[in-house]
Amino acid sequence: MSAVAAVAGRGAAQPAGSRTGLAYVSAEKSNAVFVVDPLKMQIIKTIKTSRRPRDMHFLADRTRLYVACGDADMIDVIDTAKAEVVSRIKTGKSPELFAIDEARRRIYVANEDDAELGIFDLDKGWRLGAIKTGGEPEGVILADEGRTIYVTSEVANLVHVIDADKGAIVKDIVVGNRPRRFALANGAKELWVTCELSGEVTVIDREKMAVSARIAFLPPGMQRSDVTPVGMAVSPDGKKAYVGLGQAAHVAEVDVATRQVTGYVLVGKRPWGVAVSRDGRRLWVANGLSDDVTVMELPSRRPLTSIPAGRTPWGIVIDD
Amino acid sequence: MIESLTAILIFACVPTFGWSDVVPAARCRGWPAFAGHDGMGWSRQAAKAVVGACAVLLSTMPAAHGQQALAKLVIGYVEIEDDPRYEPIRTTERIILKAPHRPFAGASVGVDDAAALVRVTRTALVLERITVAPGKAAEAIATARKESGVALFLLDLPPDEIRAAAAVLKGTQSLAFNVSSPEDGLRRGMCAAEVVHVTPSHAMRADALLQHLVSRKWRDVLLLEGPEAGDAAVAEALLRSAKKFGVRIVAHQKFKLGNDPRDRELNNPALLTAINRDYDVVIVADEGLEMARHLPFRTTRPRPIAGAIGLEAEAWHWTWDRNGGPQVNGRFQVKSGGQQMSSSDWAAWMAVKMISEAVVRTESTDVARLKQHLVKAGIEAGGGFDGGKGLAVSVRAWDQQVRQPMLLATPLGVAATAPVDGFLHQTNRLDTLGDDAAETPCRLDLRAR
Repeated sequence: MSAVAAVAGRGAAQPAGSRTGLAYVSAEKSNAVFVVDPLKMQIIKTIKTSRRPRDMHFLADRTRLYVACGDADMIDVIDTAKAEVVSRIKTGKSPELFAIDEARRRIYVANEDDAELGIFDLDKGWRLGAIKTGGEPEGVILADEGRTIYVTSEVANLVHVIDADKGAIVKDIVVGNRPRRFALANGAKELWVTCELSGEVTVIDREKMAVSARIAFLPPGMQRSDVTPVGMAVSPDGKKAYVGLGQAAHVAEVDVATRQVTGYVLVGKRPWGVAVSRDGRRLWVANGLSDDVTVMELPSRRPLTSIPAGRTPWGIVIDD
Repeated sequence: MIESLTAILIFACVPTFGWSDVVPAARCRGWPAFAGHDGMGWSRQAAKAVVGACAVLLSTMPAAHGQQALAKLVIGYVEIEDDPRYEPIRTTERIILKAPHRPFAGASVGVDDAAALVRVTRTALVLERITVAPGKAAEAIATARKESGVALFLLDLPPDEIRAAAAVLKGTQSLAFNVSSPEDGLRRGMCAAEVVHVTPSHAMRADALLQHLVSRKWRDVLLLEGPEAGDAAVAEALLRSAKKFGVRIVAHQKFKLGNDPRDRELNNPALLTAINRDYDVVIVADEGLEMARHLPFRTTRPRPIAGAIGLEAEAWHWTWDRNGGPQVNGRFQVKSGGQQMSSSDWAAWMAVKMISEAVVRTESTDVARLKQHLVKAGIEAGGGFDGGKGLAVSVRAWDQQVRQPMLLATPLGVAATAPVDGFLHQTNRLDTLGDDAAETPCRLDLRAR
């Protein structure tokens, strides 16, 4: 069955939880999320959103896709069957990254302008509270079934460790310069943090709440100052991590166990958002400043194609 | 008088130990210790007593939540009264063309940004504003060092005051950050190990502008130079930069101000620009803006204007919308009551940010260690600080100028950034802007540290 048929027929015919394989790409300046057919490798649908869509997360059953819209101070909720925005949650100013805890029915939103992590009711959209962070919070990730929240502060060079039930910061971990985003690695024993200005991934031992390693990058022919890692994704089998190196226009592949860089691939300009398909066969890369998405074959790391994706594509999630 | 002032300052100095909104311990604002305004009735003794009370109060504050008390790290912000650089630039009709402001709010944003680090470092940054009469800056710095142990300074001072300040700091364990003087001489001839130049030099500004022109293939330039000393400094930097990047200065005219018909070749925009040889761009060095503001659309040939107007090379611009620029601009606007963040504001913000980050990284408030970190981070590959301009900024080991990207600003936007793509360097592209090690007589890196 083609992916197109899958999305068209999903609403009533298919049970919730089925996977279409479609990729969703948010484009900051297009004010839209593009739906990409992974077989045809082209956009099959454009979903209009509020202004400046960036981070996206599915509900576990994939019926809804939440999209943070930074300039509208909203999170748009997309009905994936209808492929349209069906509701909106008003957040604080400039929501950037966020995380959803379906068990606690909460959304945690980094509000970069207000320097806080806003907490919202997932069902009603009400603001439940906020936790003050360092300046320009960005990355948000949940661990320990939602008991622990990690937030980066780009200005303070900190990772805040937050106890979700107490609603309080329990530890500040100093990491590299301008920490951006997270990935859990090594069976969630490690928290990896991209540090844009120091050009590295800082590895945090979650149990010790301390930095245990630093992974530096330098693609051939580039200067250190060009290496500005931001987006990161770990392969479904947990063996490889992929890091978008921003200004250096490359994606790095890292062996998680040894923390060695196993390859660099030239992509478009300012690659940030990266996503790996569930079968581990495709890597998707959003190139923010060349307005396209690179699709790469894994494990060969061979780029298959570049798909034009509106203006300033930011992030990618895959319904698979 | 002493009692009432003490009361006010105790109120101002109460540290906040709140869990969720830790702020730097105190803002001892309005510190008149070095103001020298005897007529106002603030005696030096009184002020000193108050500052002492403030320090004692801080050191004896009970610690919250069983944690150790905050240490405080004082940064002296030094400025002079009636600094001519902050006089509004007016026309004869008393229309204000530009109202430059002092970059104190920029420094304050830096202190606010460091607030989240207080939990980690247990050190509060405190900004002390030291405003003195012209000619007294060096003396005030020496006094602050000796009597209050202040070792870090932001210098919002004109070049001669910076020279005097550098002289009293020479050989001491202290560090001062030049946040508003772009003079190349301070980086070359003065060459002080105790001064870090955060604001970009004239050389960096000229190089940024000319890189952009070269990248557009606009290599022929008509250079117009005004009557002020600052104009000559800018023109000299442009001539040097032109040689470096292969830009042809097809004519270099020193214009005059006025309407004297005998001088019309040099005071009339149309005649000034009516030269035989063609040119791609007019660059005007005119800090008074009197000629510059009459140049756009009054040139003989239809050519763009850059330099003092039109396209300006700046450390920062209020419209900068990448690399976290909107957030920095937003915080500044709130702090300053709606002003537009200037290059000097950026430099003051950056200086405080560099200090606070050095405290975090070295886990120390010892000036020798902070200084070592600041300069080492520049040498060490990958080291550097986040200036909100993409590439990491760092301190050049040879002349202690902060290497940084430059913004080429039009009135309502940033047209380009420098270093411009294609201008290469063997170690760091940022060193294509301003004096590279081989281009300056100042080699602090070769001196024994």
